[in-house]
Amino acid sequence: MPQEVEKYRKPTRILHWVHMVSFCLLFLTGLVLFIPGLGIIAQDSWTRVIHRIAAAIFIIAPLIYIPLNLKATAKGIKEAFSWGIEDIGWLKAAPRYYFLGDESDMPPQGAMNTGQKLWWLIVLVSSVVFTITGLIMWFAKTTASPAVLQWMVFLHDIAFIGASSMLLLHIYLGVIHPTMTEAWKAIYKGTVSVGYAKKHHAKWYEEVTRRKEVKS
Amino acid sequence: MAEKAILYDATRCTACRGCQAACKQWNENDEFIPTEENGVKAANRGSYENPPDLSPRTWVKMEFRETDAGGAVRWLFSRRACMHCTEAACVKVCPSGALYHHELGFVAYDKDICTGCGYCIDACPFNVPRSDRNLITGIAKMDKCTFCTTPGLDRIAQGWEPACVKTCPPKALQYGDRNQLIAEGKKRVESLIARGWANANLYGEKELGGLHVMYVLDDHPAVYGLPVDPQISAATIAWQDVIQPVGWVVGGLTILGLGLNYLVARASVNSDKEKENAARS
Repeated sequence: MPQEVEKYRKPTRILHWVHMVSFCLLFLTGLVLFIPGLGIIAQDSWTRVIHRIAAAIFIIAPLIYIPLNLKATAKGIKEAFSWGIEDIGWLKAAPRYYFLGDESDMPPQGAMNTGQKLWWLIVLVSSVVFTITGLIMWFAKTTASPAVLQWMVFLHDIAFIGASSMLLLHIYLGVIHPTMTEAWKAIYKGTVSVGYAKKHHAKWYEEVTRRKEVKS
Repeated sequence: MAEKAILYDATRCTACRGCQAACKQWNENDEFIPTEENGVKAANRGSYENPPDLSPRTWVKMEFRETDAGGAVRWLFSRRACMHCTEAACVKVCPSGALYHHELGFVAYDKDICTGCGYCIDACPFNVPRSDRNLITGIAKMDKCTFCTTPGLDRIAQGWEPACVKTCPPKALQYGDRNQLIAEGKKRVESLIARGWANANLYGEKELGGLHVMYVLDDHPAVYGLPVDPQISAATIAWQDVIQPVGWVVGGLTILGLGLNYLVARASVNSDKEKENAARS
């Protein structure tokens, strides 16, 4: 059996999947408001009921995760906002890599490569926007001024467009892209092979091997 | 087909509220009579206005205003209901197409497919649509004046006038071809001006592309509580005309890009494998 190294701990993986499922429900029940033809599905408000149940899960899941995993949370948030010169190198090399599989120009990456970091930043920011605007539309629907409610829908829509199109990219890279062979395993089982780690996350692999023994 | 409209002449209205009663009666929008038994308390709000506001069951309502006209009190009456705009913000924001323009120009809706999102309520420049809303579940349905086109209760399809017009004793409400009513309204305004009502005007001819409920007023619209130069809000335009099209473009390009990437990346992976195989053999 090839040597494995832990990429995502179990609580992180559980949060990922709970968030993924709730976001997909939110995405689909929100999408019906974008497509007039699907309006028929939303009649009698039942998609809104699902949207709200999913929203509650979407908001509560990280609120449970954060106090139990303070260190990981702090590290994760710090990572989302740590940008450097290598990120530009990654962005330059990305088209050749993702289309042609040529990674000769790829600078070594940490636990998250630039693309993953960008997605993670969008997740953080859009989650905050979704939550604040959503809670106002939910609980202040009859008390807030019409103008406020309209701008809340506007911001909710911007977050929706940004997060949803990036979600498609995220799912595509994780599940469909021909060379992303171990991303699925990383978030499902939690580990990647040493070879994959060295090749795709060289800086991170160096760090973990310095810290502890490699899991076999 | 020629557009139809209602012309309301505030100078003829006696505020009998027959229109309110006829609207409720025809459209089966019962109101609770305030008694202890049915749980509705009577309240004195210091006004003849009743009920206090439009509601899912009150589609038209008479408003009473007291104004100071050079030391004398004027008691003004005006009709409050859906204005049936040509450029209707509610139709623009309705995500399910439940709200639509009737072939005769006014704004009708299919209550069955209303999702209860409430966007029309926030978008309406006249603050007209109403809904009963469960704040926790969000279950709701919008209601407003249907111009008497509710399925099964459709007076217009029968060639009849709306219930409020039918019942109006002083003929303050008229129903007919919109163009004819504009001409009639202008004539009425002219005669008011001739009699000394210098601010008399016809409201609704041009507002929001033309309303299908127009008002003959003997004073400035603001005096009657009507918005002067009503507009579709900036938020509605930014959201419907900018953000939603951008959303479709971004979504479309993303899907297209991913499809293209898949084809190119798969081809290059396959050719790499072939090269490896060729090198091995």
